[in-house]
Amino acid sequence: MDAIETTCVYCGCGCGLYLHVENNRIIAVTPSMKPPASGRLCAKGWLLHGFVNHPERLREPLIRRGDRHVQTSWSEALSFIASSFAEIKRDYGPDALAVLTSAKATNEENYLLMKLCRAALGSNNIDNVARLCHAPTLFALGSSLGSGSMTNPIESLLYSDVIMITGSNTTEQHPAVALHIMEARRNGARIIVMDPRRTQMAEIADLHLQMRPGTDIALLNAILNIVIQEGMIDEEFIRSRTEGFDDIRDRLAEYTPEVVERICDVPAELIRDAAVMYGGAEAAAIVYAMGITQHAHGTDNVQAIVNLALATGNLGRDGSGIYPLRGHQNVQGACDMGALPDYYTGYQRVSEFREKFEDAWNVELPVSRGRSAIEIMSSAGSDIRGLYISGENPALSYPDSSRIREALESLDLLVVSDIFPTETTRMADVILPVASFAEKYGTVTSTERKVQLIRKAIDPPGSALPEWVVAARLLEIFGVSSDYNSSADVMREIAALTPSYGGISHERLERGGIHWPCPTQEHPGTPVLYRDGFLRGRAVFRHVDQRSLDDERFTLIIGRSQYHFHTGSMTRRVSILERELPEAFVDMNPKDAAALGIRNGTGLILESERGTIRARARLSDGVREGILFMPFHFRESPANLLTKWQLDQFSKIPALKMVSVSIRREDA
Amino acid sequence: MMFFLEKKDLPELLRRAGAFFEIIAPVPINGEPQLVSWKGGDLALSSPNPLMPPTRLFLPPRETLFAYLQESGLYTFEVPEVGNRLIVGVRPCDLQALSMLDRIMLSDPADELYSKRRRSTAIIALNCTEPSDSCFCAQMGAGPEADEGFDLLLTDLGERYLLETGSPAGIMLANLSEELLERGDDAEKRRLMRESRERIMSARPWLSQDRMRSRLREIDWRSLSKECISCGGCSFVCPTCHCFTIADLGLPDGERIRCADSCILSGFHRMASGANPKARPEERLLSWYMEKLEHMLIRTGMPGCVGCGRCDRVCFSGLHRTDIFR
Ligand code: SF4
Ligand code: SF4
Ligand code: SF4
Ligand code: SF4
Repeated sequence: MDAIETTCVYCGCGCGLYLHVENNRIIAVTPSMKPPASGRLCAKGWLLHGFVNHPERLREPLIRRGDRHVQTSWSEALSFIASSFAEIKRDYGPDALAVLTSAKATNEENYLLMKLCRAALGSNNIDNVARLCHAPTLFALGSSLGSGSMTNPIESLLYSDVIMITGSNTTEQHPAVALHIMEARRNGARIIVMDPRRTQMAEIADLHLQMRPGTDIALLNAILNIVIQEGMIDEEFIRSRTEGFDDIRDRLAEYTPEVVERICDVPAELIRDAAVMYGGAEAAAIVYAMGITQHAHGTDNVQAIVNLALATGNLGRDGSGIYPLRGHQNVQGACDMGALPDYYTGYQRVSEFREKFEDAWNVELPVSRGRSAIEIMSSAGSDIRGLYISGENPALSYPDSSRIREALESLDLLVVSDIFPTETTRMADVILPVASFAEKYGTVTSTERKVQLIRKAIDPPGSALPEWVVAARLLEIFGVSSDYNSSADVMREIAALTPSYGGISHERLERGGIHWPCPTQEHPGTPVLYRDGFLRGRAVFRHVDQRSLDDERFTLIIGRSQYHFHTGSMTRRVSILERELPEAFVDMNPKDAAALGIRNGTGLILESERGTIRARARLSDGVREGILFMPFHFRESPANLLTKWQLDQFSKIPALKMVSVSIRREDA
Repeated sequence: MMFFLEKKDLPELLRRAGAFFEIIAPVPINGEPQLVSWKGGDLALSSPNPLMPPTRLFLPPRETLFAYLQESGLYTFEVPEVGNRLIVGVRPCDLQALSMLDRIMLSDPADELYSKRRRSTAIIALNCTEPSDSCFCAQMGAGPEADEGFDLLLTDLGERYLLETGSPAGIMLANLSEELLERGDDAEKRRLMRESRERIMSARPWLSQDRMRSRLREIDWRSLSKECISCGGCSFVCPTCHCFTIADLGLPDGERIRCADSCILSGFHRMASGANPKARPEERLLSWYMEKLEHMLIRTGMPGCVGCGRCDRVCFSGLHRTDIFR
């Protein structure tokens, strides 16, 4: 019997937990008493022992022969990959190659894959799943405040008087954050929820603004307008620490509660109450997630949040702040490690820091502009000919799935590493079996910028390898320096090249997680950003306007459920989680259902411009009339067959959150 | 038989027992007590009771019942082996939970793996002289003092332990370390246990099993459960919880696994038709407490709650406070 402390693999909360191990098998999980878990886990965490030892784990490298995959050795697989990439590079140039890294992989792995893409393949075409969740956050918070990440640690919510939650089903998607919100509420904090659905948070909130989906900007602008009218802005903060307020002040005036009531379908009185509640708080926090970002105006949505927080001086103090909740264990880290087309590690721009990395790696690095994940997919088979996908399943998670499948099929070389066979590995030319989070050492960075260790508890199945070893071996084949004996060695290189990670080492993390920026070995880390000012000098306001909406009969909101994670490749193999939610559902208002003769459990056909899927209706007065909700975890009802390639102009995030659909009964 | 054992000699006593058993004990791992194989290092016997109940060593939250291998249409089965174990530091509450589980798992037809594990495990219990704030074993008649169900029993007397034997195996274990032991008496232990019991009782003087049972139907479970996120945590750490589900993973080869299930989860109650008599958390919470306080009592003659306080320690919504029965 052994118990190994590590970090949960699922959401970005980064709960610490102990894996209880017997004979190289995980037999139980218990929470760590340290924050943010503080002795609690969600059901996915408690049942983490369910998938790691699953017999369907990929055990050996596989290579395509005709339409079958056959077992091969690591050395053969890797040299095939290297020579195929080299061939494509010779024939089409390095920009025909691309890498998509994984938000499930460690920082060290993301770093080495980034190095592989830039230093070995010679391409800036590298991106990660953040493109599909928080690219707008990176852009809006980055350009306004200086850093595109959560401003305060999760525990800081305990000091808030008011917590505004928008576009986040927090109890289901970020339970450890919900835990802190509920604890703050028990101690007197007031809660405002803005969501088209009546979520559990909405049930316990003081105010629930159940707006029409897609009207976030109008609502946030109206709130800020009222805050200004009521004289609740922080003039001193605005004067000394920001710029551009006067420009937006006048343009906000048209967002009166009465006008916005018509846009959002939320009573003007309720909007006013929310504004006064938020504006009157000593310390107020805004928590948001994919409901804000996954829109063609995602960056503007985030900017509206930034404007509100800046105008009320709610930054740089305990209890205040902006909380973009990250969906994956290490999606923050993947971005920090430079798995982005325009940045090296720690958001050092390719255009400014190329020489520094050339010197460090002793290679010439590409100058050409890198493509984002969506651009990589849209040019797959034409400009992009070879792609390495680490532990992601775009065949199910990206918009307009049929187009993605075609794109992946038209590549000359597709390499996919994963722990289980997925819809995407099926299309791969080479499948690499990698170690799961429980089978390797490394670091991950949670939503609160907290770098934490994951520790090896058991051996990987078959000949599966930690992905950092795979990346290091590929680097070696390409003749790029890769002299690492452990992932701790990789972190030493990261720290040397990345100011915000400068003081981070595995040795230090043994004693607990550290919030970046942490520039030196002596630095304690920075839980709260902007205490003494903004990185870019003054924070900037930018006015944003509500866009007009399509007037469709039904708007489908796409999200997740608390019992499954992403495309379900892990959670759908955990028998109890699968029992809790074995198939997709479509939440529908009973009035809409009655009008169409639909009952609980009726099979529905949903059709959009892009595709058609089937799922059962679930009647719920938690959604407004005209609104439908369904999760995207299920390959049998792949919601992303319906979504479109509509990109946000700044951040290139696709509008994955909602789509207009028509519905009919399956038997009709 | 009663002996005094110097604290510094406990590791040596365990080392000698280690010739016959895998020793499992609470050990500090990154600052938190965890039940693991003891390899001679520090013990965490004065820390709070580990979150994972020792009952889960007999009925692990995930275990392989057997592996199946298919060869030209014929199946062969591999059953896991069970070794001898000595669990050190089992608290009285957990000991009582274990004897309640025995009445369920060993009643005809006995669960094979459970009974194998039970037969090959020896127990050194530990009386509680320093109860935690969340402990209410005294009110449930389960602690803080053990009176049966152990092979050896330790009581922390400060400088030394009182070591009591409770079975022939315990006497044998004590004999292995004869020269480390000194004949003792339980005068000091009785004083300490009286104090400990009073401490637990005075923290919740109003609490009793009768009180809990009579309050069950008066509590407003609906508003109480508003913040329950159905994580299942309360049942995953409860030492008397024992529901499981079975699944066959893998074709044509694979394994039949058993894993802890929980009536706190909605799918547990869903019927094949899709109808669910306990779709709401308030219905499930009430039934959880009814199971603990009434049904288990009828089935086994022992209450299903031993007052260990673990459910409260892991609850998101803080609803398992004993205060609700006030
Ligand atoms: S809240 Fe997130 S990190 Fe914590 S246990 Fe659940 S999935 Fe894991
Ligand atoms: S119900 Fe709670 S206090 Fe009672 S035995 Fe179970 S976990 Fe312990
Ligand atoms: S509940 Fe009683 S027996 Fe159990 S650990 Fe606490 S004091 Fe000890
Ligand atoms: S631990 Fe609390 S939140 Fe979790 S299922 Fe039990 S009662 Fe609900």
